[in-house]
Amino acid sequence: MAEKKKMSVAEILAAARKTDGGATSDEAAPKSSDAAEAAPAAESSPAPEKPAAKPAAKPAAKPAAKSGGGRPSVAEMLAAARAEKQGGAKPAEKPAAAKPAAAAKEAPAKKPAPAKAKEPVAAKAQAPKDTGSILAAARNPSKPGPMTKAEAARQAPAEKPKPAAKPVKSKLTVPPMPAKPDYAKPKPKAAAATTTDRRGFLTGMMLGSCLGIGFVSMSTTFGLWLLGTARFMYPNVLMEPPSQFKVGFPSNFAPGQVETKFVGQYGVWIVNYEYNGEPQIYALRTVCTHLGCTPNWLEGEQKFKCPCHGSGFYKDGINFEGPAPRPLERYAIRVADDGQLEVDKSKLFQEEIGQWSDPASFVAV
Amino acid sequence: MHGVSEAEVVSGIAPFLGGYYLFLASMNAVMAFYLWHYKHRTNDALVWTAFSLFMVIVSAAAMGGSPPGLPESVRNLVNWLTGPVIYSVGTTVLLVIAYVLRRWWVKPMVAWTLLNISLVAMGVSMVDANFAAIVTKPDNVPIVGLVFLLGFFTWLATAKAVENDNRAKEGLPPTEKLDDEKVLVWPDLVYTELICMVALTALLLVWAIALQAPLEEPASSVKTPNPSKAPWYFLGLQEMLVYYDPWMAGVVLPSLVLVGLAAIPFLDFNKLGNGYYTIEQRKFSYLVFQFGFLELWITLIILGTFFRGPNWNIFGPFEFWDPHKVLALNNVDLSQYFWIGFMGEALPKPSPDATTLSQILTILLREWLGIVLVVLYFVALPPLMAATIFRGFFVKMGFLRFMLMANLLLFMAALPLKMVLRWTLNLKYIIAIPEFFLNF
Repeated sequence: MAEKKKMSVAEILAAARKTDGGATSDEAAPKSSDAAEAAPAAESSPAPEKPAAKPAAKPAAKPAAKSGGGRPSVAEMLAAARAEKQGGAKPAEKPAAAKPAAAAKEAPAKKPAPAKAKEPVAAKAQAPKDTGSILAAARNPSKPGPMTKAEAARQAPAEKPKPAAKPVKSKLTVPPMPAKPDYAKPKPKAAAATTTDRRGFLTGMMLGSCLGIGFVSMSTTFGLWLLGTARFMYPNVLMEPPSQFKVGFPSNFAPGQVETKFVGQYGVWIVNYEYNGEPQIYALRTVCTHLGCTPNWLEGEQKFKCPCHGSGFYKDGINFEGPAPRPLERYAIRVADDGQLEVDKSKLFQEEIGQWSDPASFVAV
Repeated sequence: MHGVSEAEVVSGIAPFLGGYYLFLASMNAVMAFYLWHYKHRTNDALVWTAFSLFMVIVSAAAMGGSPPGLPESVRNLVNWLTGPVIYSVGTTVLLVIAYVLRRWWVKPMVAWTLLNISLVAMGVSMVDANFAAIVTKPDNVPIVGLVFLLGFFTWLATAKAVENDNRAKEGLPPTEKLDDEKVLVWPDLVYTELICMVALTALLLVWAIALQAPLEEPASSVKTPNPSKAPWYFLGLQEMLVYYDPWMAGVVLPSLVLVGLAAIPFLDFNKLGNGYYTIEQRKFSYLVFQFGFLELWITLIILGTFFRGPNWNIFGPFEFWDPHKVLALNNVDLSQYFWIGFMGEALPKPSPDATTLSQILTILLREWLGIVLVVLYFVALPPLMAATIFRGFFVKMGFLRFMLMANLLLFMAALPLKMVLRWTLNLKYIIAIPEFFLNF
């Protein structure tokens, strides 16, 4: 197929040169090329194409068809028939350039139908001549002669550049008019001016233009963000109040008193009460041992009561109602050097594992 | 309620109640017209017309500033009835009654009467300041609506099931099989959904404008609102947390609910009842579902929404939410009952100096009765069930499936059992090992 295409393109070029070189002089050339195209297109097998095309290009349409007809192929028969038709039409069409186009419209339109109709026959007769190749041949862009508009459009992009290149050269060389330098001079000047402007623009942009300011400020912002993120990792604030804090002198707490003023800041009740009959001051953690709500101290009922699930604790922190499974927890408490009570929240004491007997968990009164 | 006199509350709610009773009147008038015109049941129509006229009079009275209320004795009776024990046992009894009498109460006229009774009861209760304060709280208004919606759907499903069961007795196919025509997704379903969507959006807009969102003070880690309630759909779980250790009620039992629901298709061996409503053909499944949904979920949500007040105490619907209400709720572990109450000794206490092994042995000695009871409940009871009431189930299901089903059922039953034990015997934990966060 590749060879075939190459050949066909070469033929096109040859035909095109012929038409370009002597369109008016030689009418036989388009004729022969036209016939040549028709014959190999119908045959479509790569091997016989070359021999078929070469002889077809030189003699008239009918001999070409006959040479093709030597092979017992239906497609060739069709090609021959088409060649006859075209040949019949040619004498009238050739002189005028417009007429071949009109004939071409008819011819390709007819081509596909018979080709398709006889596909099976062709396949039986000769294996290589399949439908695809026939159609490919039918669509072969190497047709220098009449063609449909669609075909012309398809071939246009491939063929146009080549002819376009030639005419431009000839135009440039042939008419060396005084007007040309005039056109030619301003163009290089303009190009030179734009390049110098670009350089200036680039430097300007980098230094002080709006875009430059934008990029600089953006990168600055990102840099600051990055620094801020790094700073965020080392906060300068204490997330919690100090775990050790002083709550005043032991004499501030009357016997039986539950001091609730430290709940908001430290989450602790300071209670002056007794445990196992021993009067002592202790710090209870304000977290329910059931699910962690903050219970309320009910002065009237003398108990801690959780609003979430109703757990209740005595004044000494022992659970007695509701679902809380354990007593409230104690924080460490001691008398500091200055005589004030100091609570240490970093140590917890749980009653159910006997930690309330630890002297660090209370201050004896 | 708070510094507002009874008369002020009544005058505030009277216009609303006037409209409410007018709505009831028009609702019943429409029903009377429907019965007379389409069903040609003149007697029923006359009854509902009379009721409708009565409602108009009540509405006029309410508009005039004197809506009818409940006498003090009735309110006290209702408060007493909604005490925890009667409430939890009573809902179970109601469930059984509803099951036994289902052929009676699914009759349209009976159901309509029940609906009217509940709506009127709602209206006359609203005059009470405490009741109105609970029911008209923006948080609770949708739950009131949901209660009525749930009643309607329960009636609808039961009515269809009863009808199908009656047809099955006569050898007829269920009603769902009669209307077997295929319906197209487009346009039948999609149009229905579109209409529902538009209607619900409109309802939501009206609701959002009419009822302000109940915003509270900024959250604080050291101040818990009193009472502190979960979202309404989690109030059943919150109620469960009152009776069990957080690990049990917060993790194990909810997971078991999910696992149990997922296990239903593998446990179910009854091929009947596929694609239609029925009770007779699936009695066990029906009862278990009604118990699990209506009893263990809905009634607990209602309890948590309307009856749980400050300090998570239980308050009757007409009771003032007193944050200083004193209840004797001293809870006692089973081990304390056994050692202190029965044996007259002190609890065996592991000494902190002893080795871990001896501590554990002491704890086991302390809790031996509870451990034995729990093991018996979950290990000995299933074979007993298989040998007696669930004999047929055991034969059909095989050992593994039956054991799974029996244990799931026992876990379901454990919640109301524990609730009643808590309220009657003040029993806190059957097994109480706070040393290892292991309580049951």
